[in-house]
Amino acid sequence: MKLSDIIVGIAMALLAVMLSYLMVYGGLGPIASYNIRPLAAAFLNNTYNPWQKIYSALSPEAVTAIVWDYRGLDTYFETSVLFIAIVGLVALFRGANIVQGISSKGLSIIVKTSTKIIVPLILVAGASLAFHGHLSPGGGFQGGSFMTVATALLAVAFSIEFLQQKRLSLNTLLAVRCVGLLAIAIVSVYLLINAVLLGGYAYIFQNMQRLLFSPNSLVAVGISQYSMPYWFLDRPLGGTLFFFNLSESIAVIGGLTLGAVLLLLRENELKTVIGGEEHE
Amino acid sequence: MIELLPAIMAFGVALVSIIATWLAVQERDLLLAILFSALQSTCYALIYYLFMAPDIVLVYLPVSVGILPLITILLVKKTERYEE
Repeated sequence: MKLSDIIVGIAMALLAVMLSYLMVYGGLGPIASYNIRPLAAAFLNNTYNPWQKIYSALSPEAVTAIVWDYRGLDTYFETSVLFIAIVGLVALFRGANIVQGISSKGLSIIVKTSTKIIVPLILVAGASLAFHGHLSPGGGFQGGSFMTVATALLAVAFSIEFLQQKRLSLNTLLAVRCVGLLAIAIVSVYLLINAVLLGGYAYIFQNMQRLLFSPNSLVAVGISQYSMPYWFLDRPLGGTLFFFNLSESIAVIGGLTLGAVLLLLRENELKTVIGGEEHE
Repeated sequence: MIELLPAIMAFGVALVSIIATWLAVQERDLLLAILFSALQSTCYALIYYLFMAPDIVLVYLPVSVGILPLITILLVKKTERYEE
């Protein structure tokens, strides 16, 4: 028995003990300090504050409120970095397509059956993460990448021709990603378009009512009255946060699945497309 | 003592992640190296959970255990499994 085998055994046992301890006791209590810094206190006071809507995002989840409301423009450019990378991948693989003639059988029946059981569970968990991103930890990117794991499992276990037969071709995935990005753009300027059409003023990435400032000074001259819906049936909606999470998850599931399927294409089919003479 | 428990557990998980990283670096079989790297990612996710960052845990798990091993396994499949 080698030394590394013993080390692996001890490490795995240690990890299993710690995971089971966490599962049984559901966390270990706070590790953070009880003294809150002023910045944290400001966010805690203002994130869900129905009495002062001009400073609030009206969402109980502080992280999502910061990510998509207080610094929404930063997150928009973060998202565009990821999708520019996917555009590069698509440009590299242009002309490639899933060949329908060579039918692959996929993996064995055991793998296929267990994948059939697991994939709906992963999809539901990812969807709940994405749609409840404004109420509990989670969000659009988290839910979208969870769902991407499910589609990648399908592509590996059932072969990429299976995705093609289920109408998930490369062009469809690209269209899904574009629809998600377009929805993000529309939500971010929705209130601005409203203000232009109906009169008054609004900001880009505006969520609730905000103070209006005159252009050359820091004196508030009024309140922008436009605001997104913040209440749905019996629970808070968080205004733009829900719509941003929804469209981000759609864009992420389209884009990352497209990347995975492009990398899963078979090499001898790709050689004629990428290294071919007609594209020189 | 009970207040120190999260810090002690984070320390233990960090030790496991160091062992996993060492194994992933010195392994000649690249498929096993990818598995050790996924083990190290699991340890990091546990540390994030202990330090009260559930949003980071949720984005770290699918990317580091699902998508990154998928892409690296595809890379190994298209090149060679054993390092010279």
